[in-house]
Amino acid sequence: MTQMPPSRQSGESASFVLFPIGKKRFALPAAMVTELAREDEPQTFPHTSPLLVGVLLRRGRIVPVCDVAPVLIGPEAPLRKFYLIANRSLSCGDEWTAIPVSGECELTQAEMLPVTGQLPGYVSGLLALQEEIVEVLNLDQLLNAEACL
Amino acid sequence: MKLSHSRSRRKSPVLQRESAILFTVAGVVFAIAADAIDEVRNLDGLVPCATTSAYQRLDKVKFTLERQGSRYFVVDAGAHFGIPAAASPATRLMVMRSIPVAVLVGGIERMHDIGAVRPLPGAFHGDERRWYRGLAILKRRAVPVVNADAFLTRAEFTLLEGKCALAPKSIAAAGA
Repeated sequence: MTQMPPSRQSGESASFVLFPIGKKRFALPAAMVTELAREDEPQTFPHTSPLLVGVLLRRGRIVPVCDVAPVLIGPEAPLRKFYLIANRSLSCGDEWTAIPVSGECELTQAEMLPVTGQLPGYVSGLLALQEEIVEVLNLDQLLNAEACL
Repeated sequence: MKLSHSRSRRKSPVLQRESAILFTVAGVVFAIAADAIDEVRNLDGLVPCATTSAYQRLDKVKFTLERQGSRYFVVDAGAHFGIPAAASPATRLMVMRSIPVAVLVGGIERMHDIGAVRPLPGAFHGDERRWYRGLAILKRRAVPVVNADAFLTRAEFTLLEGKCALAPKSIAAAGA
């Protein structure tokens, strides 16, 4: 359950979970994703970490909720309905992170293409699907969170 | 197999319980170790100290308290945690046991035995790592367990000693 390296050899196909935020879809390596959960009000308390909106209690774990929509599509992100729960490898160990998403997710098998053009550093590759190009996210880059002090 | 089994047993966390005081600030519930608190009292006896400071983080200290021959710096918990003042009116004062700090809070809920304090998830990487010892789970709620030593740093104590040196008595005398 570790994050896929940023580049893969051409021709190698892998599984990805596609998820919508607003009208756009993004992808994470399927190996990182542990579940899709229904929206539940996150529990909040004061903190100063950007993007974090609170925590969920899930199967005995405390799961931080990171709302990445403002970074990915700006402040006008529509209501999120589900949580995509991903497993991240931090220096202090593996940790689940809940990402609020706008709708149902989809599992797909595709070849990850290298990033072309000027894309943000959190895009680790691209998936060329039938009618769209989907950005594969590097969650750690996105959350800027080599976080264990 | 047997060896790894016994290892995992040894590694499993011991569920230590501790008594905590649950308090609120702007409706948010926090816990603090009961043995860190010497007294919970009303707001009588607070003495204003200088309210302007070049060091903005010290704005959370606007009062001192003289008690049993010692002076305590009074930290507004709302300001400490970055909660807007209007949202966090204070009604109680928690006087710390081992440091000269008293903390203004919205209210005291109750004393409660909390189980193991779980570490803050690594995704939290800001000031909260200093503010909290971790999280306790109470009735399916994650409650931050406050680190009493984080209300004021050693540097802040030093600055406050200068800032509030003349304030208490002179303000009281001016008002008389």
